Amino acid sequence: MKIGVFVCHCGSNIEGTVDTAAVAAAAREFPGVAFATDTMYTCSEPGQEEIVTAIKEQQLDGVVVASCTPRMHEQTFRRTVERAGLNRYLFEMANIREHVSWIGKDREANTNKAIDLVRMSAAKLLHNRPLLSKKFEINKRVLIIGGGVAGIQAALDCAEGGLQVVLVEKTSSIGGKMAKLDKTFPTVDCSSCILGPRMVDVAQHPNITLHAYSEIDEVSGYVGNFEVKVKKKATYVDWKKCTGCGVCMTKCPSRKATDYFNEGIGKTTAINIPFPQAIPKKAKIDADFCMKLQKGKCGICEKICPTGCIDYSQQDEYVTEKVGAIIAATGFDLFDWTVYGEYGAGRYPDVITSLQYERMLSASGPTGGHIKRPSDGREPKNVVFIQCVGSRDKSVGRPYCTGFCCMYTAKQAILTKDHLPESRSYVFYMDIRATGKNYDEFTRRAMEEYDAKYIRGRVSMIYPKGDRLLVRGADTLMGTQVELDADLVVLAVGAQAAAGANQLAEKLRISYDSYGFYMEGHPKLKPVETNTAGVYLAGSCQGPKDIPSSVSQGSAAAAKVLGLFSKDKLESDPQVSMVDIKRCIGCGKCMKTCPFGAIKEIDFRGMKKAEVIETICQGCGICTSTCPQGAVQLQHFTDNQILSEVNALCQF
Amino acid sequence: MKYQQELKDSIRKALPDLDVVIAWSSGFDPLHATPHFIRRDEDIDRLEIGPLCVHNLATYLPGLRGKKVGIVVKGCDSRSVIELLQENLIKREDVTIFGFPCTGVVDQTKVRKALGNAGRVDFCQVASQTLVVGAGGTEHKLRLSKVLADKCFSCQYPNALLADHFVGEKISPSVAEEEGYDDLAAFENMPLDERFAFWQKEMDRCIRCYACRNACPMCVCRDHCLAESRDPHWLSQEDNVRDKWMFQLIHAYHLAGRCTECGECQRACPMDIPLLLLKKKMNKEIKELFQYEAGVDPAATPPLLSFKMEEENIKEREW
Repeated sequence: MKIGVFVCHCGSNIEGTVDTAAVAAAAREFPGVAFATDTMYTCSEPGQEEIVTAIKEQQLDGVVVASCTPRMHEQTFRRTVERAGLNRYLFEMANIREHVSWIGKDREANTNKAIDLVRMSAAKLLHNRPLLSKKFEINKRVLIIGGGVAGIQAALDCAEGGLQVVLVEKTSSIGGKMAKLDKTFPTVDCSSCILGPRMVDVAQHPNITLHAYSEIDEVSGYVGNFEVKVKKKATYVDWKKCTGCGVCMTKCPSRKATDYFNEGIGKTTAINIPFPQAIPKKAKIDADFCMKLQKGKCGICEKICPTGCIDYSQQDEYVTEKVGAIIAATGFDLFDWTVYGEYGAGRYPDVITSLQYERMLSASGPTGGHIKRPSDGREPKNVVFIQCVGSRDKSVGRPYCTGFCCMYTAKQAILTKDHLPESRSYVFYMDIRATGKNYDEFTRRAMEEYDAKYIRGRVSMIYPKGDRLLVRGADTLMGTQVELDADLVVLAVGAQAAAGANQLAEKLRISYDSYGFYMEGHPKLKPVETNTAGVYLAGSCQGPKDIPSSVSQGSAAAAKVLGLFSKDKLESDPQVSMVDIKRCIGCGKCMKTCPFGAIKEIDFRGMKKAEVIETICQGCGICTSTCPQGAVQLQHFTDNQILSEVNALCQF
Repeated sequence: MKYQQELKDSIRKALPDLDVVIAWSSGFDPLHATPHFIRRDEDIDRLEIGPLCVHNLATYLPGLRGKKVGIVVKGCDSRSVIELLQENLIKREDVTIFGFPCTGVVDQTKVRKALGNAGRVDFCQVASQTLVVGAGGTEHKLRLSKVLADKCFSCQYPNALLADHFVGEKISPSVAEEEGYDDLAAFENMPLDERFAFWQKEMDRCIRCYACRNACPMCVCRDHCLAESRDPHWLSQEDNVRDKWMFQLIHAYHLAGRCTECGECQRACPMDIPLLLLKKKMNKEIKELFQYEAGVDPAATPPLLSFKMEEENIKEREW
């Protein structure tokens, strides 16, 4: 084999701390290396041309590029060698940027390490074999997980693009967090007026199948051919018959059920439709509070239901959906603010969350749009808003900024004045983050036109004083302490990863960060892709986002899926396991350990043998380390290839 | 051995349906037993069981795949049979297991040391707790507690755990379950550098004969053992401690959660390298992590032969 080595300067990124010319000079001495050079930017057009020219002029049949991480440019260079007529797997990449130049300052040590990495790559390349992809059919249906505004947008865009869409929503209605909001910043337009029609579109679109009150149970398969087991939780109501008339709700005697939609402000009935605009508008029974299901006595809803749709014996049901792509749009949850002792840790009824306040402001909410103190129902005079509760606070493990609280707090201060002209709002803030279009103007309006008093500082203590609350905090601009008599305290609670996000990520085989937010393929260039082919992200599951950003991501993810499905066949990755049938003794250990069920037993002339199903195999390599005979080998990462790297590195 | 006749009767009854029964008989001298392959009725008379029956006969089973095989097992041997069954390397319907309660087997190295250069062995008898050896015209009385193999003093399973025919009364283990790995304590308490030096010294004595591997019932790589493989070329043939150690480490890794602690590796080693120590240590770790012991329950799934998204005792999320 004649190998060409190209050592990239990456401007000064690598050349700054690695002597690339010395690396190239050292590489010329390695076995098989026929040509080595250093170039300014290997990934640039002239850089790639240099590779193509060298392959042709020097008759190279293998290429090593020593530059950045393969995550960045492996595909780029594979295409380059392919353009010059080589198989794309006769290429190796040595990462001398992230693994060398960016992490050490010692030029000599860095140069030596870069030489080692190039030696390893060249040694492996000697064992590389041309690999070819196979084409396979795809199923042009898309599954969207989460029916919040991001999921709705993605569903509608995909459906409009002609795809069959399966939308799975955990609760009994789509709408997500946005459906709970009264108004939206910075235009103060009614949230349900803009979201409602979209929800109706979802319900009516012929291309969308909606599974509400359902969760993802299992995901198997691969890009183009996923098989997803959806668990339809028991609602105890036959939704085919339920017309959403709501008669059951008026007669249900169990009136103390937790009202999840209204964030626990007020109670609801055991059988309920969460809100009037719910899609689907179907009743479900909250089994924890239903007397019939708990004690066996009652059955009023069954008697009264005009369509006879109540079924107390209903069980969870499973349906399997076959799709070609998946969009995760699972949103966020609120941080549990009761860890803060200084805000009363949940002891004071008049300290509420911003989302509870939102329900209180909403005309369809439990108070009919009247702002009332939960303790005594009185209208508040002084409303104190505290920002950054569970945001930008290392002490509770939430060092990140949620990003939209500054804006909704300003909106809530404005709405407070609208609802109660006699009231006064006070906002404790750390910094105002209003970077969107018309955002800063909006917060200025809250201060200037709506007389909200913004105090830069943190609150150190809230405690009851008579029937009011005393809020003590710092005003860091004035350098003084402030004490305010508050009738109602609203906490701008930050966002955190949705409950169960990690488990879902593992089912989808995508990664998540240390806070549980899903990892995008690249922070700038692949914001809605994941590193798992065919799985995309939209909305706050990837990190806290306001409505415009969530909608943009919903559309972006839909565009990615439409792009993927514009082809009729996809190419499989040949970096998968292969069984050497001569070595296989049919013990089946590989089948037991394969996390993907990608190995099946076959009968070969009366003997049991293992066979890899190439399209299902993800190339994780567990089978190769399990097989005692070394009969399973991961292509492009065979024992020989890895051993040659180790031997190149560990020279005695 | 008091159950010997009973065992012979039971083998005699089963033999017509079997191709071969593997047991022990007296070897080249009265002090040594040897594996004994019973094919005909008259072979049965030479069968002997007792503390000299050191070999784990389960090692022969994978090589006899497809034949109807009877096998006589001690407690530790039966674990190997179970593990082989779990790993699909032998078929249950092909194996007929004869078990008996084992009171321990001798360590020939200890016997050799105790006898010294005693000359030719003329006879050997097991009286209660004593091994009486006649050699070079003198009678040597060796207390069994001095010459039994170390593994027998921490044995948890003296009775065959899986047997189609069990002769004799079941006996109780020599130590309580929680004390099964106490013999590792001295080694574990050594500082790391001393432990390293210890293995460096022991491994340096290895003569690369691979008797440890050949005796091991769980060594199933067969023709693809790293010791001889040239594709991939895992080990050099140089006489250096690195390559010898590498082999033993990979052997131990291949046995993690599979080793049934029969001690054949150590027994077979002509250089008396304490190889079982390495494997027992691995097994202890496996037991702590997965609450699993190899070759105990035929229906269990070995932890390293399954895949779980989340292990109970490996808190990856907290790393």
